[in-house]
Amino acid sequence: MEMSQIERRSANPPATLGNHVQTILVYRCVSLYPYYRSEYNAFWRCVQAGATYLFVQLCKMLFLATFFPTWEGGAGVYDFVGEFMKATVDLADLLGLHLVMSRNAGKGEYKIMVAAMGWATAELVMSRCIPLWVGARGIEFDWKYIQMSFDSNISLVHYIVMAAVVWMFTRYDLPKSFRLPVTVLLGLCVYKAFLMELFVHVFLLGSWTALLVKAVLTGSISLCSLFLFVTLVHSN
Amino acid sequence: MFEEASEVFDNMFKSSFPLTFIVFIPAVLILVSPLPAEAAHEFTVYRMQQYDLQGQPYGTRNAILNTEARTVEAEVLSRRCVIMRLVDFSYERYQKALRQSAGAVVIILPKNMSTMPQDIVQQFMELEPEMLATETIVPVYFALEDDELLSIYTQTLTSSSSQGSSSAAEVLIHTATANGFQMVTSGAQSKAVSDWAITSLEGRLAGTGGEDLPTIVLVAHYDSFGVAPWLSYGADSNGSGVSMLLELARLFSRLYTYKRTHAGYNLLFFVSGGGKFNYQGTKRWLEDNLDHTDSSLLQDNVAFVLCLDTLGNGDSLHLHVSKPPKEGTAQYALLKELETVASNQYPEVKFSMVHKKINLADDTLAWEHERFGIRRLPAFTLSHLNSHREVQRSSIMDVRPHVDLRKLSRNTKLIAESLARVIYNLTEKGAPGDLQIFTEQMMQEEQLSSVVDWLTAQPRAAQLVDKDSSVVSTLEYHLGRYLKDVRRHYVKADKRDPEFVFYDQLKQTMNAYRVKPAIFDLLLAFCIAAYLGVIYLSIQHFVVLYSVVRRITTPKTKQH
Repeated sequence: MEMSQIERRSANPPATLGNHVQTILVYRCVSLYPYYRSEYNAFWRCVQAGATYLFVQLCKMLFLATFFPTWEGGAGVYDFVGEFMKATVDLADLLGLHLVMSRNAGKGEYKIMVAAMGWATAELVMSRCIPLWVGARGIEFDWKYIQMSFDSNISLVHYIVMAAVVWMFTRYDLPKSFRLPVTVLLGLCVYKAFLMELFVHVFLLGSWTALLVKAVLTGSISLCSLFLFVTLVHSN
Repeated sequence: MFEEASEVFDNMFKSSFPLTFIVFIPAVLILVSPLPAEAAHEFTVYRMQQYDLQGQPYGTRNAILNTEARTVEAEVLSRRCVIMRLVDFSYERYQKALRQSAGAVVIILPKNMSTMPQDIVQQFMELEPEMLATETIVPVYFALEDDELLSIYTQTLTSSSSQGSSSAAEVLIHTATANGFQMVTSGAQSKAVSDWAITSLEGRLAGTGGEDLPTIVLVAHYDSFGVAPWLSYGADSNGSGVSMLLELARLFSRLYTYKRTHAGYNLLFFVSGGGKFNYQGTKRWLEDNLDHTDSSLLQDNVAFVLCLDTLGNGDSLHLHVSKPPKEGTAQYALLKELETVASNQYPEVKFSMVHKKINLADDTLAWEHERFGIRRLPAFTLSHLNSHREVQRSSIMDVRPHVDLRKLSRNTKLIAESLARVIYNLTEKGAPGDLQIFTEQMMQEEQLSSVVDWLTAQPRAAQLVDKDSSVVSTLEYHLGRYLKDVRRHYVKADKRDPEFVFYDQLKQTMNAYRVKPAIFDLLLAFCIAAYLGVIYLSIQHFVVLYSVVRRITTPKTKQH
């Protein structure tokens, strides 16, 4: 009951796709609620996380379109400041993850996993399904589809890390000494895409090398956050 | 911690069936439904000729293609598309491809023909009629070279030539990593074009001084021929003839506008179509004028018919006759005037008469004048070629650089002078041999040059020029500027016993898709399965990493 009330309250913003999806989900949850009450499973929560992802992406796009008009400039020059500002908008991702996790009751790891899996799946469906559908079925073979699949694996790990860091950030019992590393990791998570573009642009990396760098970056961030997580969980 | 993750998937499977179905439907659909994909490279190909002449089929019969690419060096050529470059082209290789029942042959031509060395050009010109003479089921295509096509060719070459020469391991690695190409043409199977109308144009300049004046007919066919219709520009044969005809029309129309120079001869100009297909335009025009109308210039007093064919180069002029002209006829007069003018004013030109009897047993007639000769009209053809079998008359290599403008202009002057001497009867009146009727200002070389440039800018094969074509309408306009009574004349093949049948699908788009061999798919699937296996194991044993990290961190906190 509590769950559905929270969802109805959050279904406020102007008519958007996210709103529709969420209302549909809410409707289904509410109508199916009597039957699923005892078995309110993790799958639906993942789907809700995915819906939140859609909503957050939509808001980000609206914000970007309103406040960042197309930049008229030379073809080869890379607008560092502009791209940096655009990357800052990705902070909304953190807010979205926090929203998802706060709605779920349960252990820390459970919340993190559900939020991250739902988020990553939604991102996979939205941004990778169409290219794969259109391109990978043809006669031609191209390595870029393999790269795309690797990229989706890496981004799954990335979202798990991001959810974990957000969870750690919002803990009331976070020690003072941890505040700084957690904030740094949070910043790295948000600006990872921007950093990757920077690397590719400055060092003119090939596609496979860029993928490798991305994997290494995500791996290092995840190791650091794992260390912090373990310390936090087992220090009490 | 990861028990929850597996719980998600368990619930997914246990809970409502439609949900799991939704997840798996895309995977099934991906495997099942077809999709037109983007090509590695898309380029235009021009098919070899396909036509029937008097019931006899010529050229290639097929038009569809969907096969792998190979070069000639490969061992297995059957049902493959053989790619050849013009520099490597030879008749033996072509025959080898055909003997092994290749799926298709694609010949890559350089973008700029003039960069090719002369001997290769000459060799190819000689091979063109041989290629056309044998009827093949295999479609033969010509493509113009660009960088992508060249890279496709070199890649196919390396993969074809390495077959059967290295060890098994090398072959395995090679087949797994190499790029194959699948060539696919768009378009349907070729079929006969029905109701194709070949257009010819005629115009006249009427003479002065009474009825029943003698008529001089000047003829040139405007269509071109080559092994591929879309690539036959026909510069010398017969772009030069048409431009010369237009220039003569202009000159004589100027003379005929003034009463003093208005001669007593009717001049009839005829630009015929279907010339390379046994002079279909001329044949039907003659039938219509001689059999089906009551009065026509051709029925009455015809002095002679002069056909212009391939006059844009060379230092010799041959007057081809089927019967040597008798003394006292207008024909004989022209012959004499040509000799006089050539020897007096243009000594570098070697003029001669070539006598060849009409052989009706041959498949096709030799020169255009033979059509008139069959109808008992006195006719001859003027050409710088010695024989009608010269390969330059029907080659795709006959492009604009083959026409030497100075020589074309000189030949035009020569013919104009000779005609003027016949029309105005100058030799009888005692004019000397080196008298120049047409001064320098009258001859406009720029006009000649621009007409030749325009003619050679587009392919003028008979299958491509229909009655709405710009070639026909521009020629009509041009003739209309100088001549009166400019009329069109159409030839359509007879329904029951067609003299000529043209086929379509002469220009198609070919796509080259980059494909990997089947072994590569297996290898890739194996690698992906191994990768997923590794990931699965690492997730299962994530606990190990977790405990390691915990052990590393706990001593630190214990020390506090």
